[in-house]
Amino acid sequence: MTDRSHSPRNPIVGTAQGFGVTFKQIFKKPITQQYPEYKRPLYPRWRGRHRLWRHENGLEKCVGCSLCAAACPADCIRVVPAENTPDNRVSAGERYARIYEINMSRCIFCGYCELACPFDAITLGNEFEISEYARDDLIYTKDMLLAEPIKQVPVADPELYDTPIPYYKTHS
Amino acid sequence: MPELVTLTIDDREVQVPKGTGLVETAMGAGIEIPVFCYEPRLGPAVGACRMCLVEIEGMPKLQAGCTMTAQDGLVVRTAATSDKAAQGQNATLEFLLLNHPLDCPVCDKGGECPLQDLTFRYGPGTTRMVFPKRTFDKPIPISPTIALDRERCILCYRCTRFSEGVAEDHQLVPRNRGAQTLITTFEEEPYRAPFSGNVIELCPVGALTSTQYRFEARPWEIQNVPTVCTMCPVGCNVTVTTREGKVKRILSRNHPEVDQGWLCDKGRFAFSHLRAEDRVTQPLRRVRRRGFATISWEEALDETERVLRGAGGRIVTALSGSETIEHAYGLAKLLRTGLGAHSAVLPEETDVAIDAFRLPLSAIRGAELIVVVGDDPVAERAPVVDLWLKLARRGGAEVVTIGAAGSVLTAPGSAAQTCRELAGSGSELGRRLRESERAILIWSSPGGHGGAEIAALAGELGFAGKPGSGAFHLPATPNGRGVADAWAAASDDEGPNPEPIAVLVVSGDEAASDPHVRALAERAETVIAIVMFERVALGWADLVLPGTSYLERDGTAMNLEGRLQRLRRAAIPPVADELSWLSQLAARFGVDVSPYPAPVFEELAGTVYGGLTLGELGERAALAERAQIPAPAPDPDTEPARPSDGHYLNLLPYRPLFAGAAVERVPELQFQRPAAEVELSWDDAQRRGISSGDEVLVRSNGTSATLRARLNRRLLPGVVRIADEHARDLHATVEVTKP
Amino acid sequence: MAASEIVLAGAADRDLTQIDAYREVGGYATLDRARGMGPQAVLDELLTADIKGRGGAGFPMGRKASFIPKPGQNPNPTYLTVNADESEPGTFKDREIMLRVPHRLIEGCLITAHAIGSRNVFIYIRGEYLREFEIIRAALEQAHGAGLMGDVTIVLHRGAGAYICGEETALLESLEGERGQPRTKPPFPAIAGLYASPTLINNVETIATVPAIVEHGGAWYADQGTEGSRGTRVFSLSGNVRRGGNYELELGTTLRDLIYHHGGGLPGSRRIKAIIPGGSSVPVLTADDIDTPLTFEAMADKGTFLGSGAVIVIDDRCCMVQLGLRVAQFYMHESCGKCTPCREGTRWMVQILRKIEDGRAEQAELDLLLDVCDRILGKCLCPLGDAAAMPIASYVDKFRAEFQAHIDAGGCPYKGESSLERVFAPVDQHTHHPTVEVPA
Repeated sequence: MTDRSHSPRNPIVGTAQGFGVTFKQIFKKPITQQYPEYKRPLYPRWRGRHRLWRHENGLEKCVGCSLCAAACPADCIRVVPAENTPDNRVSAGERYARIYEINMSRCIFCGYCELACPFDAITLGNEFEISEYARDDLIYTKDMLLAEPIKQVPVADPELYDTPIPYYKTHS
Repeated sequence: MPELVTLTIDDREVQVPKGTGLVETAMGAGIEIPVFCYEPRLGPAVGACRMCLVEIEGMPKLQAGCTMTAQDGLVVRTAATSDKAAQGQNATLEFLLLNHPLDCPVCDKGGECPLQDLTFRYGPGTTRMVFPKRTFDKPIPISPTIALDRERCILCYRCTRFSEGVAEDHQLVPRNRGAQTLITTFEEEPYRAPFSGNVIELCPVGALTSTQYRFEARPWEIQNVPTVCTMCPVGCNVTVTTREGKVKRILSRNHPEVDQGWLCDKGRFAFSHLRAEDRVTQPLRRVRRRGFATISWEEALDETERVLRGAGGRIVTALSGSETIEHAYGLAKLLRTGLGAHSAVLPEETDVAIDAFRLPLSAIRGAELIVVVGDDPVAERAPVVDLWLKLARRGGAEVVTIGAAGSVLTAPGSAAQTCRELAGSGSELGRRLRESERAILIWSSPGGHGGAEIAALAGELGFAGKPGSGAFHLPATPNGRGVADAWAAASDDEGPNPEPIAVLVVSGDEAASDPHVRALAERAETVIAIVMFERVALGWADLVLPGTSYLERDGTAMNLEGRLQRLRRAAIPPVADELSWLSQLAARFGVDVSPYPAPVFEELAGTVYGGLTLGELGERAALAERAQIPAPAPDPDTEPARPSDGHYLNLLPYRPLFAGAAVERVPELQFQRPAAEVELSWDDAQRRGISSGDEVLVRSNGTSATLRARLNRRLLPGVVRIADEHARDLHATVEVTKP
Repeated sequence: MAASEIVLAGAADRDLTQIDAYREVGGYATLDRARGMGPQAVLDELLTADIKGRGGAGFPMGRKASFIPKPGQNPNPTYLTVNADESEPGTFKDREIMLRVPHRLIEGCLITAHAIGSRNVFIYIRGEYLREFEIIRAALEQAHGAGLMGDVTIVLHRGAGAYICGEETALLESLEGERGQPRTKPPFPAIAGLYASPTLINNVETIATVPAIVEHGGAWYADQGTEGSRGTRVFSLSGNVRRGGNYELELGTTLRDLIYHHGGGLPGSRRIKAIIPGGSSVPVLTADDIDTPLTFEAMADKGTFLGSGAVIVIDDRCCMVQLGLRVAQFYMHESCGKCTPCREGTRWMVQILRKIEDGRAEQAELDLLLDVCDRILGKCLCPLGDAAAMPIASYVDKFRAEFQAHIDAGGCPYKGESSLERVFAPVDQHTHHPTVEVPA
């Protein structure tokens, strides 16, 4: 049986029906969300820009083990470790990441690096407003990743979801 | 044809030669029997770690698979098909992990760690250990190149078995017993031995790690390049690990006939010379007496062309013997066919006579009688050959060293005379050499006419018809024969030795550091040096063209066996490869030299190597069959040193293994450099009231040196040995006194 | 003492450390006779006697000696090694033999050496036995002075405090100057032992029995004892008994006989709680097993071993958990460290037992202890691992209630009154290895 619901016999009627659909929308409430005045709240586990974390005492959690680089399907993380010395103790372990770069243009925001990290040093936060004009500016260095986000985005109420959410997730 | 036996492993029937180890048998059938302490190169299997437990039908208890050999009708079940064996292997891993620290993220071995891999495959997923783990101070530097982490050690004893049973330096030992066992160096001294670095590769966990490679890279961030080390004439096959184009470490690639998987510390750790701070990156021109100014490549090539054209053919080339065959051929073709400059100097002679008694180095292991002729210890000239000798001796062979510090003491410099005596009718040893089916001769001394002496002896002893007997000549240069072949193949013309020398072309840092070449340089009007390091050429070279290292070259080299091996470029050099500018320079003289090694090699191989191509050399090069060459006549006119008259002693300088411009620029290897010592024989020391460790004054006509005395019971009285870098200006006879 | 004495015969009446006294009771006469008989004849007597090794493993001596290649079959010399490294806890019989009848041991060495065609005998004596060492040394000098050695050299070598060197291949390693760690077998010492040459290695008591066997004949010896355990044995009785000591009795004597008749029973009005029949390496027996005959086969039926014949009596004052801890500490300390299960497993067992004794253990850890024992058993390079795991497992099996009481009560029910209180080994003495600065 041919489905004729979308092809009326009379083309004028069809055209009028199409216009009618459009006309009706004038009176309906728009569902457009006016970004950037209104920012839709993100889910708590939404994967945005990466963040490197520190311990309470200020030492970096990242020990430069490079497991995140191994897990990354896009091969966009570069880790060059170095040894902690008594004069220069950066992380809590034997070594720290001297160079830690993520190429954001390659990153697919899958979150595998977060899953791979044994120290919860890298997580994917909620920031997504990270456009740049030059490609080179999209290679994020360690200081950029350690820093607090510049712009805050709203996060949906975690109470609505029954999965436990870690501390760092609700504070983007 | 060895007898074959049939056995069943995991319900799979396998046929192997009788006596094959069970682990290899299973591997051949595609079945893994996991091991930690099993390493056939370390001797008979010990079955210590209990990782390889398998179930054998007919035996009630689990057996250590590594200690068993294939026998007819054996039925073996590994963890794959036997619950009992799986539980046994799981138990072993659980026990090992009980006190193993949670270091994987910070441990260098992570990613290439057998403990990690086997735990995934056979081990427990969680731990039941709730007690505090035992701890040690860590890491402990047992030498500037090796760090020991006792917490990670699983006490497989591979390192101590290597130290005791392969390198025989007895420096890495276990201490205490049972759960308190730990690995330590004897008397807590640094581990100072030429083969110490091998324990890093042997250690299955991150307990013994390289301090040079500490925290450099993870296995998934590196590229491995297979090449050959040419720091000594053995030519061990290596794998060079690079990250982001920089060389990070060197591992052995295991050519069973050449190096058996071992590497000496020089070949393993000296690669940081690539990044020495005085590395020449631009051509240099001499200004004032001791200064260099950077010039552009255009200027440099123009200057070189001008100088070479103006020389009128009075050009001498000093070769190092460490160039690749292609570089040497390119240089030779330019100078010989383009400029008629046929005069070249190599540190030593080369000869093809030795090819008639050619053998792979692994044949040393099967010999029953080995005679080493010469004053230099084999370990200083060709380290891995010393490991083969030790292996042969442990297997029951008799090793006789005849020299100033050998098991049979002779005057220094009398190696040729020893050869004559061995060939004579009165020599008992010579008779045994003649009668043996598997005898090996080794020449380990300066001179020897590039192997002609030892080949002559081998010929007279009747080695020609015996495939198990052969001879080795240990040269002083890594690729002397290859370079000589390349030079000879470039042209058939000859020319007189130029006098006076207009231009001296010095190729390579070894030649540039050679006192004889420096002496030649003083007589030359202009000196062009092709070196890697600025300080080597400072003060005497007029024009410096940057050189590359063996790690940055693609090409071929011939080792002491006569084996042609392929080098591959592991790191991009900071300067242009020699062939590229040689090709441009040659074009200016109308000579065609390709800038790529493959065509250069093929051109050369057409005349010298029977039309071999670069691709045919393969990853583990084969050794050609013995050549049918008539044995040369022995040289009649060599004379050993006069015996000492008691007061004046004969100075025997030697070139130690850890010497050379490259090694000098590696900070981690400085502790292996020879100390400022003079070796005295027991009698001479007693007569002068000198004990080991005393400061003594060594004097010769007009020069003197203050050195520390070391007594050597195995040194011929009347002879003293000093490393040549400390014996710089001393003459052939010296006085040694306490100041 | 009793007429059944063979190894210690005559020692009560005379000072048999002196060669003259020994000769008076017929000493060294058998040696001459044996040298007159061919080696094979001597071996045949040993085979007929069916004497099982007295060290602990209980392998028939005659059969072991017959594994040694005959002259001409092997280019290497044959060695005889006597295992005088008596370190099994509870065992002190070899000590008595060496103290009182050293010449009988020497005569046994010489006869056995003749039987296997050996000219080199090594006696490896426990380092702590200094007095015994001096006595044997003096006796050797006397025998040498009397011209009895023939072409045999006897070397008396002192050990240095390692139980593991009582294991035959570890003993051979130690004798060769290496670390005292066992080797895998095969190859067996009879083919490749000391210096890769055929070696016969036997316990002191076994060798000391040889003169009597050759003197009276193997059949005479085999007549005594039982069919599976012929002859007599020196039992070391210790623990909670009135008259502990060495008693040479015919095999087949019951435990009751040994403990109550010879040993005088338990002091005070104590009752037996447990009996260790063959040194601490064997599973324990309870008081119900008091009538078990002391034979290899009877003990095997009971799930334990006759071992070294050291009977330790434990009365009801002793906490079995403490006993288990003390025994486990011994094996942890004595483990050689070569194979993983023993090295790591013995330490883990000590840690768990310590936790149970202190009352901090959880229920699951009792089964964990049994699982650890199971994981060690049968997987080690040498029997020390089994010797550690089997007894501990037997304590838990047979006295489970006591272990459970520790867990339930959160402490030892004996509350410090156990007879083993504070008798623990200083196993932590080697824990921290000082680090020394290594100059670059």
